[in-house]
Amino acid sequence: MKKIVGQVTVEEKNEIQLLFERRNGLNELAKILTPENDALYQKLVKDMGETGTKFQQWWDGMADKYQWEGTVDGHWEINFETCEIFLVTNN
Amino acid sequence: MLKYLVIQLADDAASYCHYENVSKGVQFISVENLKTAIRFGMVENLNIQFIYPKRALPDGYAEIIETIDHTKIIPCAAPNSKSADIVVCNSIEEIEGYNFDKEQIVILRIYRSEVNELPRIYDLLKGKCARLNVVLRDVEKFSEGDFEDYKSLLAQLGNKVTTSLIEGGNAQLNLLTDRLVLNTMNNCNAGDEVVAIMPNGKFYPCAGFYYDNPNEDFGDLMRGVQIKKRQLFKLSYAPICRHCDAYHCRRCAWLNRKTTLEVNTPSHEQCVVAHLERNESGRILSSIREACEYEPETTIPEIDYLDPFEKRKEW
Amino acid sequence: MSFEVAKKAIDYILDNENDSNFATESVIWDFIGGEPFLEIDLIEQITNYIKSELYRRNHHWFNSYRLNFTTNGINYDNPKVQQYIKDNYTHIGITITIDGTKRKHDLNRVYKNSSRGSYDDVVKNIPLYLSQFPGASTKVTISSEDIPYIKESVLHLFSLGINEVNINCVFEDVWKDGDELLFENQLIELADEIIDNKLYEGNVCSFYNENIGKPLSTTTSDQNWCGAGMMLSIDAQGNFYPCTRFAGYSLRNKKPIIIGNIRDGINNNLLRPFLSLTRSSQSTDECINCDYAYGCAWCQGENYDAADTPTIYQRATAICKMHKARVRANNYYWNKLYRKLELEGAEKPAEKSFDINC
Repeated sequence: MKKIVGQVTVEEKNEIQLLFERRNGLNELAKILTPENDALYQKLVKDMGETGTKFQQWWDGMADKYQWEGTVDGHWEINFETCEIFLVTNN
Repeated sequence: MLKYLVIQLADDAASYCHYENVSKGVQFISVENLKTAIRFGMVENLNIQFIYPKRALPDGYAEIIETIDHTKIIPCAAPNSKSADIVVCNSIEEIEGYNFDKEQIVILRIYRSEVNELPRIYDLLKGKCARLNVVLRDVEKFSEGDFEDYKSLLAQLGNKVTTSLIEGGNAQLNLLTDRLVLNTMNNCNAGDEVVAIMPNGKFYPCAGFYYDNPNEDFGDLMRGVQIKKRQLFKLSYAPICRHCDAYHCRRCAWLNRKTTLEVNTPSHEQCVVAHLERNESGRILSSIREACEYEPETTIPEIDYLDPFEKRKEW
Repeated sequence: MSFEVAKKAIDYILDNENDSNFATESVIWDFIGGEPFLEIDLIEQITNYIKSELYRRNHHWFNSYRLNFTTNGINYDNPKVQQYIKDNYTHIGITITIDGTKRKHDLNRVYKNSSRGSYDDVVKNIPLYLSQFPGASTKVTISSEDIPYIKESVLHLFSLGINEVNINCVFEDVWKDGDELLFENQLIELADEIIDNKLYEGNVCSFYNENIGKPLSTTTSDQNWCGAGMMLSIDAQGNFYPCTRFAGYSLRNKKPIIIGNIRDGINNNLLRPFLSLTRSSQSTDECINCDYAYGCAWCQGENYDAADTPTIYQRATAICKMHKARVRANNYYWNKLYRKLELEGAEKPAEKSFDINC
């Protein structure tokens, strides 16, 4: 099930969209980069950790700010077109 | 509509503009074509300009030419250059060694490496000719550094022109004084208002197009002028120029095609050079108006660009 | 194209991150062929270089790039292609060009040295394609011979689960007398099918657009329709074009317009005509003042190829009668649809959009 539980500003949406794109880019780069390329590999590992942290911080911060409805078995999603936040649950 | 007919008397006639005469031909226009061209100019009510070579014309040509009111454009090295309305000099040396008539207009064709000589030449010709038209032969090769040098040079020239105008002198220099009296575009207009007839009896927008490819003619003396896609030679179909106020710019269709492949689109270099001149004209205008009364209601506002192409998103 | 040429092209583009030609927030690396998936090994090598170089250089495009493919779909289920899709899934956009029904598709798409059409080999991959890209669309191009098959083809594509059909007439002068009437009738019959069967709910056919067919002002709507000059097209030798339509292999009558190469870079003067071109500066008064102007598109390459002189500033008008026929059928579509919805008391359908979620 998917229902709207809130909305963020365009600026806030831009922040998470950038992190989302970067995280995707890092994940797909990780598939081709090997430890033999040491400098770039180390940079990637560090970057993946930092980006993941920032990503989670954004969701935590926004949830705290807007007090969205949540459930234990669900997760939030954002629609980049509309800035709407959805609560997605399995039932 | 057509206003001017340029009649090129020989393949090796003088270039008086941006193009170079690269022809190895020595053909004179035939007597028959000369007469037909003059008749064409008369019936179409066109102003006729004859372009002469350095060498003497064959017998009989002078008499035919004199059958119509006209302008003579003659290289300074030609034997009859004293009879020229417009004298063409292809170097600093040529201009230094020539004794002009006060009524004559002088065209000086120089390379960008020679522009530093212009203040001296301007002083040299002061009071000795009616007007100095400077043509840059390699404007398309200007670099960013050249633009800076040109700007400084124009400032030097601008000071001289300002002083002369305040003193009441006649200081006509196309690069800086034309814009002082213009409120609309005043360009070459080849292909729209101007057409050239070459020694082969065919029409071209100007001689430059003939030297590029004689097969790309715009009609001939039998068929008349047949300008293909004529609207592209008009200001209203020039997307950059129609938004521009460097009204004195030559807006050279031949140079446009050479650099951008389109007759209606100028190169970056042509635009920047014209705007450096325009801006210096603006400085001159302000200085004159501070010093004395200046009749023409020209305006040259300050702008923050040198190439109107950069402003295309605001059009 | 060799990898070396591709690498030099990428290096040139990334070396000039601050050049106005590349000052975009995002980039699409578009692989076109021939058929791109015939060269999946090369594409993988190129993609890996792009990804690692964007990252190594801290290039701003690392956070915003896409890899686009237009494919005939035959090799879609090839294991190497599938692995490539998996490895780059969040950055990939793929369009499979399936033209419609088997008879329509096989009319134009046959194997080399054979009369066998490719429809069966493509359509078997559609379920896999749609499972990986649920919002996928297809692109259909209509020429004179294709007109009788428009209705059945669009309906067939909808039935395959392709909910967005982008379709347009070719810009080239291929149209015969009477084609416009056949075309209009096909679009009206298609409109009837879509409306009577409520296919407008969840499907989009780009022929029908509420805004087209109105006059346009030269002061407020003078922009260029075509993207030539705003993209960089690179051939196998490393030459740059404003669009692939200006390469020698795409042109019938004119010389290629090469705006640079991987060694010397872009000659910006050659780009100026493309970037300053407007609707009014290339159109006749008839086009400028046309009552049906909105939605009448053009291809700058075809304009150039069909022009009387070597200029991009002469609008080709072969498509004029087809556009007007489309406008008439489009008017029919919206009039019929709105009347139906009005009688049913229903709301106007929202335009379909595909959500992007994270």
